[in-house]
Amino acid sequence: MSATIPPRRRALEQLVGFAPVLIFAGMLVHIGIQAPGFVSLLTLGLVLEQSLPVVLVCIGMSIVVMAGGEDVVAGGIDLSIPATTVLAAGILAQWLAADGGFVMACLLALGAALLVGATNAALVAWIGLTPLLASLAMFGAVVGVNNMVTASRRINVDHPIILWLRDAEIAGIAVGILCVAAFGLAAYHLLHRTRFGLHLQAGGGSVEAAEMVGLSARRHLAIAFLLAALTGFIAGFFVLARGSGSSPGVEDNLMLEMVLATYLGAAFSPRRVVTLWGAVLGALLVGAITIGFKSMGVNVFWLGLIKGALILTVVAFAALAKRGRA
Amino acid sequence: MTEAALSLQEIVKTFPGVRALDSASLTLQPSEIHGLVGENGAGKSTIIKVLAGIYTPDSGQLRIAGQHIHPITPASVHDAGIRFIHQELHLVPHFTVAEAIFMGQELAGPFGLRKGQMRHRAEEFLHDRLGVTIHGNRLVRDLGTAERKLVQIARALIDGQAKVVVFDEPTAPLASAEVKTLMDAIFRLKQQEITILYVSHYLNEIMGICDRVTVFRNGRNVAVFDDVDDALGPKMISAMVGRDLDDIYPARTRSFAETVMTLDKLTGPGFEDVSLSLRKGEILGVAGLIGSGREELVDTLYGLARAKGGTLHLHGKRARIRTPSDAIAQGVVLVPRDRRNDGLVLPMTVGENITLATLDEDATFGVENRAHARTRAARKVSELDIRPANTGAIVRFLSGGNQQKVVLARWLARDADIFVLDEPTVGVDIGARAEIYSVVNRLAQDGAGVLVSSSDPGELIGLCDRILVMLRGRVVAELDPARQSMDDLIALSTGATNAPQGQEVPV
Repeated sequence: MSATIPPRRRALEQLVGFAPVLIFAGMLVHIGIQAPGFVSLLTLGLVLEQSLPVVLVCIGMSIVVMAGGEDVVAGGIDLSIPATTVLAAGILAQWLAADGGFVMACLLALGAALLVGATNAALVAWIGLTPLLASLAMFGAVVGVNNMVTASRRINVDHPIILWLRDAEIAGIAVGILCVAAFGLAAYHLLHRTRFGLHLQAGGGSVEAAEMVGLSARRHLAIAFLLAALTGFIAGFFVLARGSGSSPGVEDNLMLEMVLATYLGAAFSPRRVVTLWGAVLGALLVGAITIGFKSMGVNVFWLGLIKGALILTVVAFAALAKRGRA
Repeated sequence: MTEAALSLQEIVKTFPGVRALDSASLTLQPSEIHGLVGENGAGKSTIIKVLAGIYTPDSGQLRIAGQHIHPITPASVHDAGIRFIHQELHLVPHFTVAEAIFMGQELAGPFGLRKGQMRHRAEEFLHDRLGVTIHGNRLVRDLGTAERKLVQIARALIDGQAKVVVFDEPTAPLASAEVKTLMDAIFRLKQQEITILYVSHYLNEIMGICDRVTVFRNGRNVAVFDDVDDALGPKMISAMVGRDLDDIYPARTRSFAETVMTLDKLTGPGFEDVSLSLRKGEILGVAGLIGSGREELVDTLYGLARAKGGTLHLHGKRARIRTPSDAIAQGVVLVPRDRRNDGLVLPMTVGENITLATLDEDATFGVENRAHARTRAARKVSELDIRPANTGAIVRFLSGGNQQKVVLARWLARDADIFVLDEPTVGVDIGARAEIYSVVNRLAQDGAGVLVSSSDPGELIGLCDRILVMLRGRVVAELDPARQSMDDLIALSTGATNAPQGQEVPV
């Protein structure tokens, strides 16, 4: 039986879907008042630069969510991307520190990243493991490999290309920001403006619907895992540039922020679903909050708690909004 | 006669142990709306699946506009211009109408998708070909059921290559008011020289829309009616039924005591204003097609869905059932339609399944008294003649009938006095059915009130004391099985005859 939803209930649903954004806006206002210097152009640039790795992994994550569906457990999710990022960074750092040549370093790191992506694809799309479980296990395994590669040490990198990514500017805008913006636009076009992108999203929205018109949802999901690994690889460069080298332990925070930003991003979408665009905005918001709290002098340990709580809030609101629609 | 738009000739399809199609034929003339009717299991779905290339027939042939199609595959029938509007919508909820319609055949140029053009073409198609106005940017999940159905139709036809369209139970999920919108759209298609095969349980729709009707029974076409007139309803029904009542039902020697359950204008998801009363010792039947609200009513009585209005009284007291444990606590138990998923824990033994609902009674301070539980289970196994007569047998390996007896045995072990049985014999062979009917009869004789919800008209007529007929969410009639026949029941539940609400229909 079809029922028209009463306008009041619809307004409430809209509000529930929007709530995470309101919470974030409130926090930003709070930070703006507490730390007056926060809202300046300089901070904006800083937020953008600091957020580049998160923006990239969020792009990867949102591709997988779009292809696999929004169910947090059974749908598309790839927690291993941050691990891929640090592995790529670790391999690059190790190889560059040994003067092994930039191109070879890139090929090795790319190969390793795509291997992770292909393994994820095989585990989830062919064997049928739950993506949450498969990619979490993968995260642990890949971090372990990275610790072996780097011997859990910090490795400084002063290769000119990495320094260029960190310091150079074109027309007053940091080169890193421009690179990520270009990549983001390309990914946006691929996912939201091409047949391939729509087919990928169709599989995430309804496997049966996609297969009825002859699309293979599994094949698209497998491709999504590979694309996610690719974004993880690219993010590796920006992790190196941001930290002037590879250091152990970056992956945990990156994963927390990735999950938070991607699902937060759904609140920006008019359809209330994870989109690439929303994920990028979400990543920037999360970056702003992090830097804001740091500039207020909030303890780092508290930050972890705050972010964890925010993830739960965002996901809970998403679940509520979905239940309202059903 | 002109060349047939589509003809299936002498199709045979067997499955292990079953001859699903026994030399069945079906012929559609160009630009007609052709109805296909038959009871569950008559072979309608099988022949549709053969036509769709999902099942490969053992023998027989398919011709489309005179051209022999071989082999019959999803691709070959698609290329020949046959389109299917399946019962399930298969749409992506967060896609726009335009994206959903063009899914898999998107319009794209060198710079990516042509979204504006897709929207425009989708709206134009919906308006010009189906006669409805739906904005191409609305999300599928915000549409009503009828609108979604129209989007599904548009998706199947947007490439302009369709010659024959097969509608499989298109109105099942729709409310009465929405049916007309869909009918209008189908009429429009006919005017555009598209041939339509219309499969439905709703005989009133068949009579209202079709030019000719083929009736299937036992895997073959038993009748084709060329004239759609007032006499068609009874003619179709007798062709569909074509058999006498099976002699597997217990004699009605029950006596009724006080009322145990009363519903007053109960309203819930999928049904409205349902009033009924159930007495001790009575077997009350509820009939209705899929989508009639019958299943939802059962779910609501057991707390699997929430009532939105009206009242429920149990044992004379106002009651609320929000969860299955509420229901059980008030003496209401359910034997679910999907017993393999909802009724049983398949990897567990017969004994464990039987005592699942009575664990607390067999336990001392939370520790299960195994010996006690085993004796109790063994008693039920012999009472109900569950085979194998072994409480240690794994339920998964039992036959459908014996599995159903295990579910019944579980509730018999408890002191429940209102039994709700949902499709109690679906997938059960005829011998086991007779045994299940005798268990149900004994339940009533022992003083329980039994509500049987079923899609099998023979079962309801044979077993029940009274039958309520539901159609599109409402109770439309009450039937007396002693005076009325299976034909009456089918006529009422398919909407072929109308009965004033709440009144008995004259024989």
